[in-house]
Amino acid sequence: MIDFESLVKRFGDRTVLKGLSFTVQEGEIVFILGTSGTGKSVLLKTLVGLLRADGGRVRIAGEDVTDLSEENYLPIRRRCGMVFQHPALFDSLTIAENIAYGLMKHERLSLEEAMPRVRECLALVGLGGGDPSLQPDIQLETKLPTQISYGMQKRVSLARTVAVGPKILLFDEPTTGLDPVTTRQINHLIRDLSRKTKTTSMVVSHDMDCALEIADRIVVLDKGMIVEQGTVKEILDSKQPLVIDFLAEAKARTVEQ
Amino acid sequence: MIRNAVHHVFGFSYLSARAFASAFSPPYRWRDVFRQIDFVAAESLPIVLLCVCAAAMVTIIEASFHMKIVIQNDSMVPGFAAMLILRELGAVVMALLVTSRAGAGMAAEIGSMKVTEQVEALQMLGLDPVRFLVAPRLVACAIAGALLSLVANIVCLMAAMSVSVVKLGYTAELFLEMSRPFVSGQDLLFAVIKGAVFGAVIPLFSCYSGLNCRPGAEGVGLATTNAVVASSVAIIVLDFIMSYLMSFYY
Repeated sequence: MIDFESLVKRFGDRTVLKGLSFTVQEGEIVFILGTSGTGKSVLLKTLVGLLRADGGRVRIAGEDVTDLSEENYLPIRRRCGMVFQHPALFDSLTIAENIAYGLMKHERLSLEEAMPRVRECLALVGLGGGDPSLQPDIQLETKLPTQISYGMQKRVSLARTVAVGPKILLFDEPTTGLDPVTTRQINHLIRDLSRKTKTTSMVVSHDMDCALEIADRIVVLDKGMIVEQGTVKEILDSKQPLVIDFLAEAKARTVEQ
Repeated sequence: MIRNAVHHVFGFSYLSARAFASAFSPPYRWRDVFRQIDFVAAESLPIVLLCVCAAAMVTIIEASFHMKIVIQNDSMVPGFAAMLILRELGAVVMALLVTSRAGAGMAAEIGSMKVTEQVEALQMLGLDPVRFLVAPRLVACAIAGALLSLVANIVCLMAAMSVSVVKLGYTAELFLEMSRPFVSGQDLLFAVIKGAVFGAVIPLFSCYSGLNCRPGAEGVGLATTNAVVASSVAIIVLDFIMSYLMSFYY
């Protein structure tokens, strides 16, 4: 589904990604794990053309997207929903308008016409009132992003992403800045959403707990290179020093909690 | 530094070309355009009128004072003031005020969107930020610039006439009669054209600064400052070029 081949990305004299190669299969949840500044977010942004590769190839569903123009990248991005580190909600629009925005612009729907889908997506991220068609949370729908909590903003951001029906879901540090309870809820949400909507998911994180809980496969990055990759079981058995550090830190945190 | 300057020149030219292409090709975003016209024209109107009136009053009083010294009378003040207002003052003062108000606002808004990843979120919805953010502002500011220039010039002339009546002893009829040999409808048309061009320049610089904003509050502040400075310099330079070209038609 997604294929990185010898991917290189530089910022000035600094090489952030140093020839990464790996493949994500259709329907998989792949975690990209690594310490801060190892190029995890850069990898996601390079996949969708928000940053351009300086070397190597990127393929999505067999199509080489490395050198596409900005205009030609737009339909590719519609197939790849991305949840950013910040909720990145449009702060001049209400919650309902935020979720409906993509539908209103692409399918020329009015807000009223898009509302059933908005309520469906809110229910999908746990913000609906049960049956989306019967008990819509009108109060929430008409609020501005600044009027709801950070955790809710993250969920709304997720709802906006799935509203346009992407085939690939990308999560950039989805649980950063959240409390442990909300972190766990978001993790479950990512797993359930990926399963329900049958999407391929890539999650960038430094949270080993989260990775062990929901990943099908984990890719560990260090200084722009892959130092380990495998299934959860393979990662648990790894002797790679960085992986051992991550596992020890995750274990310590679990004991603390 | 030269490399950086070249990078910005190419970046700005590319953004401008794409903004014009998006502005003149469907789908047109009329609702966004009208919202921006309201922000730029309607909300800027009071401050623009206040400032052009003040500028007109100062022009009349100063012109009268100096003419009395040089040619011993101020009989040419109405013609001089009308010419100065229509050919320079109205459009330029209006454009500089719109830059500091609306241009700064646009750069800060788009810069904040950039910093909080809203621009990238827009791209990830498969939407082109140039078509959705820049093109409506370009069209709206060009229309708003033309309208504001028209109104500002007319009100500016009326303010000059009022000061002439109150302070210099002219009647309204005499002021108009003495202005007529110096200015015509063509001057007002050229002022409107200048207003439209200046109006179009403001969102291009503001959006370019916003879209290239550096991270953090400092980045947004810097983007806003750069937008106002670049737009103001561009307006002054364009005014010189357009005044020179228009002088062949007077």
